[in-house]
Amino acid sequence: MGLFENLDKIFNVSLIYATFRASTPIIYAALCAALTQQANILNIGTEGIMLVGAFTAVAVSYITGSWFFGIIAAMMGGALIAMIMAVGHIKYNSDICAIGMGINMLAIALTKFLLSVMFGTTGSFANPDIIPIPRIHFAFLENVPVLNDLLNDWCFTEWFVILFVIILQFLFYKTVWGLRLRAVGQFPMAAQTTGIHVNAVKYQAMLISGLVGGLAGAHLSLGYSTQFVENMTNNRGFMGVAAMYFGGANPVLTSVGCLLFGFSDSVGARLQAYGLPAQFVLMMPYVVTVVILAISMIIKLRAEKKRESSLITNEARG
Amino acid sequence: MNQSLKSFIKILITIVLSLLIGTIFILVTGENPISAYGALLKGALGTKLGLGTTIANFTPLLLTSVAFVVAAKVGAFNVGVEGEVILGGLAAAYIGINWVFLPAPLLLLACFAGAMAVAAAWAFIPAFLKAYYNVSEVCVTILMNSVALYIGSYLVSGPMSAGTAVPQSDPVQVTIPKIMNPSSANAGLFIAILIVVAVIFMLYKTKWGYKIRTVGTNPAHAEYAGIGSKRVFINAMLLSGMLGGIAGCIEVLGVHGFYLDGFAKDLGTNGMLAALIVKSNIVATPFMAFFIAVLKSGALAMQQASGVPKSVVDIITAIFIVIATMEFVIELKKKHKKGE
Repeated sequence: MGLFENLDKIFNVSLIYATFRASTPIIYAALCAALTQQANILNIGTEGIMLVGAFTAVAVSYITGSWFFGIIAAMMGGALIAMIMAVGHIKYNSDICAIGMGINMLAIALTKFLLSVMFGTTGSFANPDIIPIPRIHFAFLENVPVLNDLLNDWCFTEWFVILFVIILQFLFYKTVWGLRLRAVGQFPMAAQTTGIHVNAVKYQAMLISGLVGGLAGAHLSLGYSTQFVENMTNNRGFMGVAAMYFGGANPVLTSVGCLLFGFSDSVGARLQAYGLPAQFVLMMPYVVTVVILAISMIIKLRAEKKRESSLITNEARG
Repeated sequence: MNQSLKSFIKILITIVLSLLIGTIFILVTGENPISAYGALLKGALGTKLGLGTTIANFTPLLLTSVAFVVAAKVGAFNVGVEGEVILGGLAAAYIGINWVFLPAPLLLLACFAGAMAVAAAWAFIPAFLKAYYNVSEVCVTILMNSVALYIGSYLVSGPMSAGTAVPQSDPVQVTIPKIMNPSSANAGLFIAILIVVAVIFMLYKTKWGYKIRTVGTNPAHAEYAGIGSKRVFINAMLLSGMLGGIAGCIEVLGVHGFYLDGFAKDLGTNGMLAALIVKSNIVATPFMAFFIAVLKSGALAMQQASGVPKSVVDIITAIFIVIATMEFVIELKKKHKKGE
């Protein structure tokens, strides 16, 4: 009862930050997937890269007492995992879905193994010695009513993701490297003819994607929360891949997709207080992801067909 | 023949390599790898309970791995088998509890039919989206697995709950008999084997199977040959879903006797793993499924006997896939020949 009287408690200012907070890990994951997608590699291993990053971040932060080293190590770990996939896919011709799923399983097993060997626990690892990524506090905002709720105490990596989306957008569409990357993705043979080392570009994309995926994991385990839980990515990597499809690997559009998932997540969490069963709340982001992914692909296909039919001959299409 | 011998050798090399890498991990924990592997084998095959557990593990894996293969033959990467297992089990439990007006044999049939229908309907969603709108089936099926898991979890902690502390349903009124007490191995094994043989026959000896394989290898050619590739694609996915549903039904009726929340954990994933390692070779898949079942059921014994965490086994199997997907063994051979 009282759901409709309480709509203002569900849809209020704090929902904006809640949405952004829930979206950030997925945005990083989606950018990880977008980087390789621009080179026409579907990064199914995003989930695994992220999970390895999450574990490495917690382990290194716990051992060194520095969140910064945690992030750096997580990015290295992510890159390492991504390079296994890159070598398998590019050099040894592995099917990307198959090796990606292999990497995901390896990540789950490896982090489980290391959790029990290094910390002697199973399930999860939380400890006051794990230093989280700091939250940025603006003292001057304390007395500003709305902005204080909205902008204060964001995690460092939450601010950074905004900058990072812009950087990637610039990198993809305004730099020579981005042009080469997209050329490799769209028509590798033509790219090769112009003297681009196709495989080198693909390796670079996978490497950077691994770094970003590691960062995604670090944010999840040191920013979004301060602990490591077995399989804590919980399909966020795949939501990122779905968002990447939604945005056509364009960083800004992809992030918009992530915000939609984050929004459904946060609204669901608030609805739980009004009697919505927990399972429906947990299910919501997945359902929304599938529906949005389907709708966006249907629209895209329709648009493509329309464009095609307006051309006169088949030759003109090429 | 030569080709299949080659792939057999490749699988063997992959197994040896993965076990060697696993050895490194065991050494890291400071244990003796030989005694650890020994404990694993003894735990999985050495005792009656162990062997029974291996067979009980093998039964669903046989079905889920072949389910993955059927989808792979038509060119789909169906990660959604796990969701299909869950919903199949759910449907079987619902019918097994509520349709008691049916005599036992009919009730059993109804359980299987219901499980297949619901699982196939679930598989239809990603199949339709992929066939007509080119939506990545990998993404959709993985996300739908979570949805299926939560649907099951909701039903057995709410409307279908038996009121116990562990979320589970009331006991079903018809069960599949156990064959190796006290383990949970049951006669579902024979059902699974019969069904898998039938599926292999269908794939390789019927027109329908030919269509599936044609669409999987070359959809454009299939269209020219007058095969409606979209329809065939969806049909194969439905069959794949049905196999998952049957696995769920056997688990519920044969192993547990009720719907247990989370019973399908890793059943689909491990089946997929078996299929991926042998590159969806349908004849080799059941053997690999058995091998995985041995590893899984021996893992716990290994952990208890030697203190090596059982996640080592998961690492080994994951490395399996990573190595198995690569085409380097054959490449090495070519180089060797050139050297001669």
